[in-house]
Amino acid sequence: MPEWLEVVIRSLLFVVVLFLITKWLGKKQISELTFFEYVTGISIGNIGAEVAIGLERNIFHGIIGIVIFAAIPFFAGLISLKSKRFRNFIEGKATVFIKDGKIMEDNLKKERYTTDELLDLLRRKDVFQVSDVEFAVLEATGDLSVMLKKENQPLTAKDINLKVASIKEPQTIIMDGTIMDEPLATIGRSRAWLQTELEKLGVTIENVFLGQVNSYGELTIDLFDDKLQVAPPQERPLILSTLKKCQADLELFALGTESKEAKQMYRLNSEKLQEAIDKVTPILKG
Amino acid sequence: MTVGSDVKQCFASLKGVEASLSSLALRTLDDESKRTLHEAMMVIHEVTKDLKKRVGELEGEELQYKGF
Repeated sequence: MPEWLEVVIRSLLFVVVLFLITKWLGKKQISELTFFEYVTGISIGNIGAEVAIGLERNIFHGIIGIVIFAAIPFFAGLISLKSKRFRNFIEGKATVFIKDGKIMEDNLKKERYTTDELLDLLRRKDVFQVSDVEFAVLEATGDLSVMLKKENQPLTAKDINLKVASIKEPQTIIMDGTIMDEPLATIGRSRAWLQTELEKLGVTIENVFLGQVNSYGELTIDLFDDKLQVAPPQERPLILSTLKKCQADLELFALGTESKEAKQMYRLNSEKLQEAIDKVTPILKG
Repeated sequence: MTVGSDVKQCFASLKGVEASLSSLALRTLDDESKRTLHEAMMVIHEVTKDLKKRVGELEGEELQYKGF
């Protein structure tokens, strides 16, 4: 067998082995590189490359090495699920870098981080002024987690006592002009319903690049042809404005009528309606 | 236009809103929003009941516009 052919076979074999190994180790190996996963990850890659190219090496030895390097973090992961102390030992603890708005110089030194690196990490979190930070922690993975002072945190609906409607995640039901049956079933809709909705918008399924259904069962689409304009769903704002008009009408009737009884009835109902409007406005507004 | 027809129109609009809210409540996936919409629908239903009665009374007064 010519040497180049052997390299091809070995490479293909190790691509498969590495693929299976990383599949087995799962998402954790690639997502959060703790010190341990970092080391084993590099070693596994190195062994794979070494044996694929180095023809004098035994393929089987390479595979044993890879499996052992993969098995250790796997079992370490299993044990650390059970034991907090083991977890601290293997994965390391987080280090507090900023506390009560003050930089902990000793901890910085302990982790051998310079001021520049700290500023760099803060900037990645869109923080340019250290005095904006209340608390910051260097995680075992090497990421900096930052808690801003309350006045620097983004304003939320809760902060201004704004009532917002709770929603569910949207479902993507059309991709590249093809209907996705599974999400469609999740929201309890049929292909026939989709067909009708598309007809209402005046487009054909082939022309739809992406279609999503939101929490209120409204279909929003993006077309292949970007020159065409698609009207946004109008039903909810329309309901709200009709409600408001009816409420105003009732007020008007209450003022206009001479019958005391009717006046009372109109007034009461207008109040009831106003209450209902206040309740549904967060839902109908959006 | 008479008062009677105005009230009738308001009644019809409210009926429409009631139906729209009901269908929206059915389509909404979030349970809390669903409940809020349903409650609003019930309130509107009560209002339409009162209005319907009033329409009847008004028709008694404006006989020439009868038709309900």
